Amino acid sequence: MPAAAVLSVPSASRPRAADLGAQGEPYLWMLGGALALGIAMIAGLLVLVLWNGLVTFVPREIALLTLADGSRIAGETVRAETFRVPAERLEGLAPEAKAKIAAEHGLARRTLYRTGNYDVYNDDFRWIADFEVAGVAYPDGMIFAERLEWGPFVGRLQSVTVDGEVLAASDIRAANVRAAHDLARARWQRIRKIERVEIGAVNHILERERLALRRVALTSGEDSAAWRAAAARFESRQTDAQARHKMLALEATRLKERDARDRIVLVEIGGAAKDMALSQVVRMYRANEFTWADRAAIYLSRWWEFLSDEPREANTEGGVLPAIFGTFAMTILMVIVVAPFGIVTALYLREYARQGRVVALVRISVNNLAGVPSIVYGVFGLGFFAYLLGGNIDQLFYAERLPNPTFGTGGLLWAALTLALLTVPVVIVATEEAIAAVPRSMREGSLACGASKWQTIRRIVLPRAMPGILTGIILAMARGAGEVAPLMLIGVVKLAPELPIDGLFPFVHLERSFMHLGFHVFDVGFQSRNSEAGKPMVFVTTLLLIALIAAMNVTAIALRNRLKRRFAGGHF
Amino acid sequence: MVDESPVSGRTRRERKTRRSVLIADRTADWIIHVGGIGVIAAVLAIVVFLVHVIVPLFEGGRVTAERSAAMPSGGPRALAVWLDEAKTIAVALRESGEVSVVHVASGRVLPSVRFDFGAVRPTAFGRTIAGIDVAFGFADGTVRLGKIEIGIAILPGNAVPAGAEPLGPGAFADAQAVYERVTGDQVRKVSVAIRLDPPETVAPGRAIVALDLRRGGTAERPTEAFVTVDADGVPRISHAESKRNILTGQVRKTVSTAILPPLPAGTAVAGALMTETADQVFIADRAGTVWRYDTRDLGRPALAETRRLLSDDAGLGVFGFLIGEQSLVVGASDGSVDVYFLLPREGAGTTDGRTLVRAHALERQPAGIVALAVSQRAKTFATADSAGHVWLRHSTSEQTLLKTQAGAANVAALAIGPRDDGIAAFANDTLTTWDIDAPHPETTWATIFGRVWYEGYPRPGFTWQSSSGTDSFEPKLSLVPLIFGTFKATLYSLLFAVPVAILAAIYTSEFVHHKVRAVVKPAMEMMASLPSVVLGFVAALVLAPLVETWIVAVILAVLLMPLALLAGAMAWQTLPQARAIRYGGIPKFALMFAALVAAALAAHGLAPAFESLFFAGDFKAWTGGKVGAEEPFLAVILWPLVFVAVGFAEARLETPVTGAAWRERLRRLPRERAGVIEGIHFVILIALAGALAFALAGGLAAAGFGLRGTVVDTYVQRNTLIVGFAMGFAVIPIIYTIAEDALNSVPEHLRAASLACGATQWQTAVRVILPTAISGVFAAVMVGMGRAVGETMIVVMAAGNTPILDMNIFDGLRALSANIAVELPEAVRAGTLYRMLFLAAMSLFVMTFVVNTLAEIVRLRFRKRAAQL
Repeated sequence: MPAAAVLSVPSASRPRAADLGAQGEPYLWMLGGALALGIAMIAGLLVLVLWNGLVTFVPREIALLTLADGSRIAGETVRAETFRVPAERLEGLAPEAKAKIAAEHGLARRTLYRTGNYDVYNDDFRWIADFEVAGVAYPDGMIFAERLEWGPFVGRLQSVTVDGEVLAASDIRAANVRAAHDLARARWQRIRKIERVEIGAVNHILERERLALRRVALTSGEDSAAWRAAAARFESRQTDAQARHKMLALEATRLKERDARDRIVLVEIGGAAKDMALSQVVRMYRANEFTWADRAAIYLSRWWEFLSDEPREANTEGGVLPAIFGTFAMTILMVIVVAPFGIVTALYLREYARQGRVVALVRISVNNLAGVPSIVYGVFGLGFFAYLLGGNIDQLFYAERLPNPTFGTGGLLWAALTLALLTVPVVIVATEEAIAAVPRSMREGSLACGASKWQTIRRIVLPRAMPGILTGIILAMARGAGEVAPLMLIGVVKLAPELPIDGLFPFVHLERSFMHLGFHVFDVGFQSRNSEAGKPMVFVTTLLLIALIAAMNVTAIALRNRLKRRFAGGHF
Repeated sequence: MVDESPVSGRTRRERKTRRSVLIADRTADWIIHVGGIGVIAAVLAIVVFLVHVIVPLFEGGRVTAERSAAMPSGGPRALAVWLDEAKTIAVALRESGEVSVVHVASGRVLPSVRFDFGAVRPTAFGRTIAGIDVAFGFADGTVRLGKIEIGIAILPGNAVPAGAEPLGPGAFADAQAVYERVTGDQVRKVSVAIRLDPPETVAPGRAIVALDLRRGGTAERPTEAFVTVDADGVPRISHAESKRNILTGQVRKTVSTAILPPLPAGTAVAGALMTETADQVFIADRAGTVWRYDTRDLGRPALAETRRLLSDDAGLGVFGFLIGEQSLVVGASDGSVDVYFLLPREGAGTTDGRTLVRAHALERQPAGIVALAVSQRAKTFATADSAGHVWLRHSTSEQTLLKTQAGAANVAALAIGPRDDGIAAFANDTLTTWDIDAPHPETTWATIFGRVWYEGYPRPGFTWQSSSGTDSFEPKLSLVPLIFGTFKATLYSLLFAVPVAILAAIYTSEFVHHKVRAVVKPAMEMMASLPSVVLGFVAALVLAPLVETWIVAVILAVLLMPLALLAGAMAWQTLPQARAIRYGGIPKFALMFAALVAAALAAHGLAPAFESLFFAGDFKAWTGGKVGAEEPFLAVILWPLVFVAVGFAEARLETPVTGAAWRERLRRLPRERAGVIEGIHFVILIALAGALAFALAGGLAAAGFGLRGTVVDTYVQRNTLIVGFAMGFAVIPIIYTIAEDALNSVPEHLRAASLACGATQWQTAVRVILPTAISGVFAAVMVGMGRAVGETMIVVMAAGNTPILDMNIFDGLRALSANIAVELPEAVRAGTLYRMLFLAAMSLFVMTFVVNTLAEIVRLRFRKRAAQL
């Protein structure tokens, strides 16, 4: 265009027309379109996760479908989509249905129904195409029962038995069934507590005593005096523990016998009845006779279960409390490690090391380490922390447990250390920047007043750099909490039987493997029996994970702003 | 800083720094130095540790101990040697049938046992690879099968018999067994038991000169098969089946023998081999000619192939199978060692279409090969030459793991320990044993990064297959398919991410009000903190099925979106100047958004029509090359490119109606009219480009060029398109943020000067800002690439994880990172796979480190330049 500009300059009388070429409107639209696309992508993703996460726990009506071939199915509507009708299915259709599909270019709508009753049907989701349906109804009396095993049951209530006595047909009213159900659930919780917590504690003591004895055997040899004393002690403790074990087991058996006498019979739409213990039903409601309050109550109770309970059904149902706990424990542990080391390193690089080529090189390296793939850190963590360090720790301190590894395999501590290594560059870079931003004049003023170097750093530099440092740490936390790939190698499991913190000595068990929200998403979405059954759970977990990370990011920003205000106006 | 001595007598106060301050200062100084250097060292130690784990992969083997035992001299020739699993004893079978036993650690010769042949000596000997089954052929045409079993039992520490004679520290022997103390207060008892079956007459009256056997069947119904060659050159294959009578307990053995087509008269037979299933028989003569028989149908055995495997002046030294019985090792009198595969070949000229192909030529030994020992667990084998050199080799990797020298020159028999941790050689009454350590024989730089010819593969190739169900499986560890997968995912994701991110960054930095920018930028950055497991899950479980259903609409949307934006721009140009300025902010951006939505809706609506027009009504069949023609789609792909080319040519071509003259004419018009004309011009240009594109596509298709079979091929649900899109999500915010920062840090005075000179915003952006910031933008792309290379969860979840080498965008891939995540939890510590995965991690580390360092250097240079402007 320079040529054009030269040509046009002499004509002074030129009307003030805009030069379209110079404005580059088509290019601008391409640029703006790219930004719009980017924003649309984020918004789309967030809306998708938010929507699916929020509606998962909404109780839905149960549709009773009569199909064209006369069979009936009942189930919750999950979603509908357009699909291409396969040729072999087209053949058996009525001509008018065929014509309709042909008019839609071979496409048709279909709906996914959650029919439940996996133990009866061997299948709990069914796609039903619109052309197969003869009629839809939402009759009263349909029950949706969430069970401890086999997923939900969809059907009708036939009878309820309490303590061996069948409730009269007139007695099967909501309030009275609910009371019986609540009692049965409370009893079941008690049985679980006895079996898991109380008997677990006894077993733990037994195991600890056994290991202590083995340790004595390893250090001073069998048949030594020390060993004999330890063996005698072991005998007495063992007798105590066994007595207690027996007592607890007796109580559990008694409760179980009582539990087996409270029964419920549900019958599915095809007529097959299912007799089960009342306590096996987690939650049960009449799906088609809802008030808004009922709906809200069930919605909230499902959220509460999700946040406060343990997973069941191969993680596709129940709660994610252990995963929330694991994510938090790991992140906190990581921060405890990463914060001091990151700050000390940054202080060293900025305040103590002589600025030169070497430090410049180290700085570039540290910057680059933030870009090294997380999986590489995972590999290092497994090889170095778990196998090398952990293996040696086991040899030295846990010889009595070998060949079962204690620290010699992935666990909470090693995962936290690996993530600390992964996030330490983030903290170093942020801290360095924050320290560099403290004006030189303040440092010089402090030194001139006679403060020592450390006093200057502690009283002048660090407080003023604190907003930046905290931001760095919180960003590191957010990165650490969302990282899954290295954890898959070093300590995360799909189902951890024990939490890393419990009431048994030494209370914090850093060697234990743990559950993690991010891995939970991967596991339920990809490793479970039926990805369709797991999908709602994945969405809710995803929502929780994103909320957690967003909360950390927002905290970082808020904290930075607050501290900035607090330390503002300190300039010379 | 604090002077400790009083400055003058007048100040009473003692001017002394408190001890606590000094201590705190010292401590802090010390902690910060140690901590700082420690952390830096720890982070750098990652590299050291990774290298430390990887290095053993490339070390061949080494001898850790060598021992020799002298046998009574002048004994009969040794036929074979064996080592037991723990290398406690070595067993040598002599021609006389005597089985000598030597305690390895002490070199003591223990009481021997013997096969009782009577007065005769065998004329032929055969054995299996695992070694416990042996067969002897005799001059009278009989064959006797036998077993040598080395029994190992772990017993309590007090199980050593009282009368046992001590052999050395912790080792004892009595007449039957050797006892060695092992950890945990236990002893290992090693004993030798032999069994010899009654003779079977195979070739009445003719001496057996070559023999091989296999045992199979079940414990109740054992089967035996053996192949024999008699002195007349007549090969026979025999099957023996034993049945136990349940009532009497008697075993009845039935032998059936089939005669194979005879060898030419006067052939000096050197050896015979048969496969496990007895479907192939190989017979070799001393000159190196191999006769291969097809014995799948025992009723009609056929000579499938006759081939000379050696060069003209060499004779056959040794001849044997490797484990798995698909590789044939041939050692010659000139020291060469070759490995042959039996492969189907076009024009093989054999009856079964298969032929022996020389797959590996190994390092030549200084003298003629005289003995061969084969590993029972890998493609490792040892060869000994007539000068007494013993070399341990690996067939697939073609490397020589170690070279050693036997005590004497005439090595008669050689053995590799069952755990590949020892070699025994019997030469001239001396038994030499070596403890060896060769944990990773199958890996060299060439096998990891080059083409490797594996058993059963028609030609050398790049393969990653680390595990399988069968025992004789050989892990195939080439990193090339994984590196290829990483680059494929990176390429396709950058193809999507780079334009979107950079265009959006330019728009945000140059054309958006700073208040809007303050909202938009953090929103885009928020995408960067989304856990990649979320992106992977959404991509694999939501996007992949959706895209599979709507693939045509997706392709159409990619084409329509730029078109809709351009159409929007053309429409916008027809607005009067004043209105264009007034609505230039949010409303214009909203219109852009609307254009995208309109394009998406149009794509959805037009998809069926598009599919039937361009893809013969069935896209998936079309990609597979089953239906439809190449041209329409090729034309659609070419259309935008031709459009750009035509537009560029028109702007540069100076004629009265194009180039500067056209622009000048347009400039004289009021904006609205110029806009309309420009719009018409645009439509004409599009049409022209379309016509040209179709012509070009026709020409290309006629010339045999097509996309199908290369970048477009059979559709699978989890494919590179999905990965590219999801990874785009992860990469766009990174490129966007860094590029936007670079553009924004161009000094304001440059922008102001440009605008003051009368340049429009667009001209300023493209001619002043972008060239200044281009190195920063480049750095942004590099950092984005680094992230894409290392991204793990998205590829694990959405890429299908098939380690293949093809560019098909509709097929999956397996990236280095995903491979580590999937296979490392299963890998045995310090095993070959474990170390290979560390090498994969190291490769990732190196790749990202190089890319990031490059980006960092470019960025630092840019920052310096921007500061100088």
